[in-house]
Amino acid sequence: MNRRVLILLLMSSAAGFAADPLPSAESILDRYVQVTGGRQAYEKRKTEIAHGTLEYTSLGIKGTITRYAAEPDKYYATLDIEGLGKVEMGVNGPVAWENSALLGPRVKTGVERAEAIREGNMNSTVNWRKLYPKVENAGIESIDGEDCYKVVMTPTEGQPMVGYYQKKSGLQVKMTTVASTQMGDIPVELIASDYKSFGGILEPAKVTQKSGPQEFTITLESVEVNPAIPPERFALPAEVRKVADKAEGK
Amino acid sequence: MRRLCLLVAASVAALGQAAHQLDLDSFEKVWTTVRDKHWQVRPGGLDWQAIHDEYRPRLEKASSHDEARAVMQEMIGRLKQSHFAIIPAPVYSVLDEDGEGPGVTGIDARVLDGQAVVTAVDPGSAAEKQGVLPGWQIERASGREMKPIIDQALSNPAIHELQLTRAVLARLSGSIGGTVDVAFLDGSGKAVVLRLDLAPPRGALSAFGNLPAQHVWFEDKRIGSTSYVRFNLFLDLPHVMASFQKTVQNCKPCDGLIIDLRGNPGGIGGMAMGMAGFLVDKPNQRLGTMFLRDSTLNFVVNPRAEVLSAPVAVLVDGCSASTSEIFAGGLKDLGRARIFGTRTAAAALPSAFERLPNGDGFQYALANYISEGGQPLEGLGVTPDVTVELTRAALLTGHDPVIEAALDWIRRQAKP
Repeated sequence: MNRRVLILLLMSSAAGFAADPLPSAESILDRYVQVTGGRQAYEKRKTEIAHGTLEYTSLGIKGTITRYAAEPDKYYATLDIEGLGKVEMGVNGPVAWENSALLGPRVKTGVERAEAIREGNMNSTVNWRKLYPKVENAGIESIDGEDCYKVVMTPTEGQPMVGYYQKKSGLQVKMTTVASTQMGDIPVELIASDYKSFGGILEPAKVTQKSGPQEFTITLESVEVNPAIPPERFALPAEVRKVADKAEGK
Repeated sequence: MRRLCLLVAASVAALGQAAHQLDLDSFEKVWTTVRDKHWQVRPGGLDWQAIHDEYRPRLEKASSHDEARAVMQEMIGRLKQSHFAIIPAPVYSVLDEDGEGPGVTGIDARVLDGQAVVTAVDPGSAAEKQGVLPGWQIERASGREMKPIIDQALSNPAIHELQLTRAVLARLSGSIGGTVDVAFLDGSGKAVVLRLDLAPPRGALSAFGNLPAQHVWFEDKRIGSTSYVRFNLFLDLPHVMASFQKTVQNCKPCDGLIIDLRGNPGGIGGMAMGMAGFLVDKPNQRLGTMFLRDSTLNFVVNPRAEVLSAPVAVLVDGCSASTSEIFAGGLKDLGRARIFGTRTAAAALPSAFERLPNGDGFQYALANYISEGGQPLEGLGVTPDVTVELTRAALLTGHDPVIEAALDWIRRQAKP
């Protein structure tokens, strides 16, 4: 742990216990990077493959999820959901796409594309300054009896994200936003819990997402750190390419 | 004797008080359900608490169960929205009665002109083997007359064809391996009584989450140069969607495509959007919009790489509900399909039925759905472009006037 980190930690702690004034949003977000492993741990990670499960508890629907990511902006995820089949989604630089057995292939556009690209930024946790030009601390709220800083992060394009960071631990325990989807804007609430170390970075092993009437839980089971991922993994699938070409009149 | 009379009087009074309490509990359940589950925070634009305060004293003064029901009906009538109804306990009991088991005879039926009539017989089923034919009238099943059930249901405007058909078909079901005695009137008006074996329903068993596993089947065929497809549910997504894609691909070349959704009660709503993508080539189109309490969902269409350009006819009836209505109504509004048959079930939403503490049934809608043409489907349904009624006479002569009307239209669309 270098001196700079120590100073950061001291600053964060001091801010955390001071009654007034509120710590800056910047310091809260930097503290989150620090408490989850530190910038160096994030920057060492060039690729990853995460494996998990997905469950819509009230509907009784289960599935698996595998997420591939590579620095700086490549992302591919595949979900296999009982009764709904396969859903694939990906980001490769400026292109964001989705292909599902239900709705077919498509290329994302507009705000939905911008949001997908932010999600596709592999180290978005440390890159928050690039992704959210404006951040502000909107005060303190209690979540499950714990005081949390409410940080509003506003991107260049799309709705703000509101993160709730525990005053005591610095961990993010909740996030709300309004997601732009093809079907419309949908309020989303994420509850993060059960933080565990995956390859030196603390990540919530359990994330429960409430979107409109739906609620599901993603359980992160394992993360392969810096595996070799062939570039084709992130390439646009042929079916998506066809509709993209058609849309462009090719 | 006087003491006994007093005891009886006291018991009757106690029973009356208990019944009144059940009505009060039912009122609270109805009011609370609307408050918590209606898609608008102010249901129907009303101050719902004020509605409670207005109607609760009236309910407390109600001197009979019928009077209490009338107060509740009036209260939800203030919403001026369809699919909010109080269904009297005797009617609800008739409709709520499930079949004795999953076994079926292979008969599909509808109520035509106030009578239960066989509309289709599954190939290879017990009914087919014993010679049952479309057009036969079902008089009695398992010793129960059909007519009183039908008359009771038809007397209540809150009861829809879909519910009535389910009630009729429930009488033709039972344990797999068992039998059901059915009395028919055949084509010549002769009484025929058959003992029909009960077998598993047609199709493959498909599970989806907490929904009970259901049998799903998909069929397609060519009628001359026209493709025809029919499936009983929007479920078993991987199989049904892949089969639909294959049908569309095989419809090149063809004069047109008939999608028969009669009797299809819906399923996974998203499948309507996915299937429409094989038929609609124009980008940024939607079938309609669903309004929930905290969000608005557009039922968008993603045109596939290869889209069918031939004319499309969609066949519907009063048992086409939910996803079937979203699909048919959306394609109609987009001008992509012509709709044939009779008005759909008007149940595009997950409107729920619950038993109230006093035994009555309570129906309520959870969201609003507006088809792309601006019409709410809930309560109104999809009105066909061409209304064609199925008749017993046509069925008895081996005709399906709905398919014939669609085929005729498709032939007229064919380019010279």
